[in-house]
Amino acid sequence: MHSGNLIEPARRPALQAVEVSKAFVSGHQRTQVLDRLSLAIEAAELTLISGPSGCGKSTLLAVLSGLQQVDGGQVRALGSELGQLDLRALERFRLQHTGFVFQGFNLFPALSAFEQVELPLNHMGLTRDEARRRARQSLEEVGLGQRMRLRPSELSGGEKQRVAIARALAKQPELLFADEPTSALDAANGQIIIDLLHRIAHSHGTTVLCVSHDPRLVVHADRVLAMEDGRILSDRRNQAPLSDSRGTPS
Amino acid sequence: MVALARKTLVYEWRRFLPAMLAVGFAGLLQLLQIALVLGIFGSTSLYVTGSSADVWVGYPGTQSVGLGRSIDADLQSRLLMDPQVLRVEPYLWVDGDWRGPRETGGASVFVSGIDPAADGLMFSKVLSPTLRARLVEPDAIIVDRSALDQLGIGIGQSATINGRRVRVVGIGTGLRALGGVNVLCSLDTARRLDNDVTDNGPTYLVASLRDPARAATVAARLRGATSFGPYTTWSASDFAQRSVRYWLFDTGAGAGVMFLAGIVFLVGAAITSQTLVAAVNGSIREYATLNALGVGVGALRKVVLEQAFWVGALGLLGASVLGIVLLLLARSQDVPVVLNAPSALACIILVMGLAAVSGLAAMRSLRRADPATLLR
Repeated sequence: MHSGNLIEPARRPALQAVEVSKAFVSGHQRTQVLDRLSLAIEAAELTLISGPSGCGKSTLLAVLSGLQQVDGGQVRALGSELGQLDLRALERFRLQHTGFVFQGFNLFPALSAFEQVELPLNHMGLTRDEARRRARQSLEEVGLGQRMRLRPSELSGGEKQRVAIARALAKQPELLFADEPTSALDAANGQIIIDLLHRIAHSHGTTVLCVSHDPRLVVHADRVLAMEDGRILSDRRNQAPLSDSRGTPS
Repeated sequence: MVALARKTLVYEWRRFLPAMLAVGFAGLLQLLQIALVLGIFGSTSLYVTGSSADVWVGYPGTQSVGLGRSIDADLQSRLLMDPQVLRVEPYLWVDGDWRGPRETGGASVFVSGIDPAADGLMFSKVLSPTLRARLVEPDAIIVDRSALDQLGIGIGQSATINGRRVRVVGIGTGLRALGGVNVLCSLDTARRLDNDVTDNGPTYLVASLRDPARAATVAARLRGATSFGPYTTWSASDFAQRSVRYWLFDTGAGAGVMFLAGIVFLVGAAITSQTLVAAVNGSIREYATLNALGVGVGALRKVVLEQAFWVGALGLLGASVLGIVLLLLARSQDVPVVLNAPSALACIILVMGLAAVSGLAAMRSLRRADPATLLR
């Protein structure tokens, strides 16, 4: 199913950056992080942005996800121009359409895995039953069906990141952003996480944009963008990502 | 709805404990202060609240029970002409100088000359019928249990007031006075003890009514007769409040209460808000993640406010339990403490206000929950 998506040329990109610039000023020092960068990200695939630290990949993720405003250029996500939205509209956009996975798992120590996933759903206007159904389903999908009553202190690092993924996934977002999701994890757990992200892109049709300098991820992504000094150096497609060899439930 | 505020409070109770203690102690301090002040200054209206008179008649402008002047005794017949008035009796207040059998130095006593009849109105709520009957004896007096040491006397012993001999025939309770010692005796005895030549009548006339609920109306219509010399009337509740208010505000005690309330509020709010700020900062990355997922800043603020509310409520609960225990302890030791509904409500408002202000202060640190900072 996914291979068909990959070669469909006429589709509108889920996420598009046009001539995007972003600079940070500290003191008298002005650092141009993104310099007139243009980019289109396709739906239903896992796109990896890799590059050395400081190359601007996290900033690119921040502007593409609407967490930061650009200095120049445009960001279009799902047909909306993010620069036109005010703070509240951006929050609403993120609530409806986006999921996030961060390097730190950022789970509330007081809540069980199930509650961590249910909490954002409460704010989406879902009924209680629907929120709980989705929370359970997502946790089962990331393989934590048996451990959803546990608190973060009782979970391993890999399990915590899977809870964070379930939290993002349960919102059924069109866009899923992941920032260095594996860098705090060992190889085996990192593998599980990247497989999950890949599977989400393909089985849910979610646009997954992952930023990482972890070289292990490169082979698992559908598309790899290499970044350096605020520019895209190369744009490469993997025709048969390895992680897909396990097969995706659809 | 996942109860994030409450679950965090329960799970991380150690983090919130200082705030709860600060709120609780602020509430407790305020509660005890008000109870003590009301207890101490409430004793200045004991003469009114401990009696069953509904209307008081006294010299115009009298600010507190102990500051009356004599009025015309003939007013009694004027009062009895009112169809509502059931009974009228004179009440004589005499300031006295006490000399006891033991060396105690001078002691100031407030002599209350009352009608010792079994159905007498004055002190009917604090004096048992048998004690009251003993006042019929000439020169017989009754004093409060707590004053015995101060006066250096025991039951059956004699002393002098204003140079005239008196004898203690009974010991009462709940007769404490402020700034002196209450001495109860009959009207006849009191007249003998009164060496002020300008006193030519009772200090007050007190009346009971057929319908006590109409005290204010009857008091108003009894005013204004001109043929008896200067006098005015109050309903019993008005006069009691007048006495307490005089002591609270004209002595500066009330200002002291307000001042301490302000200090307690500030210190409590400082500690509580700092604790809540620390709690918010401890979860700032989680809050930022929720915001990244689209949960609005308004909803996050509500979580912080809710935590502040629970901190206030739990602190209040602790203060109430401890406060009741301490008040009971004080009662058992004859320490005058009084707590009424308005002052309890004032404490609740102070404590919850403190929690709310702290919550609002802590809410400001949510501004640091910027999801962009989570990306590195």
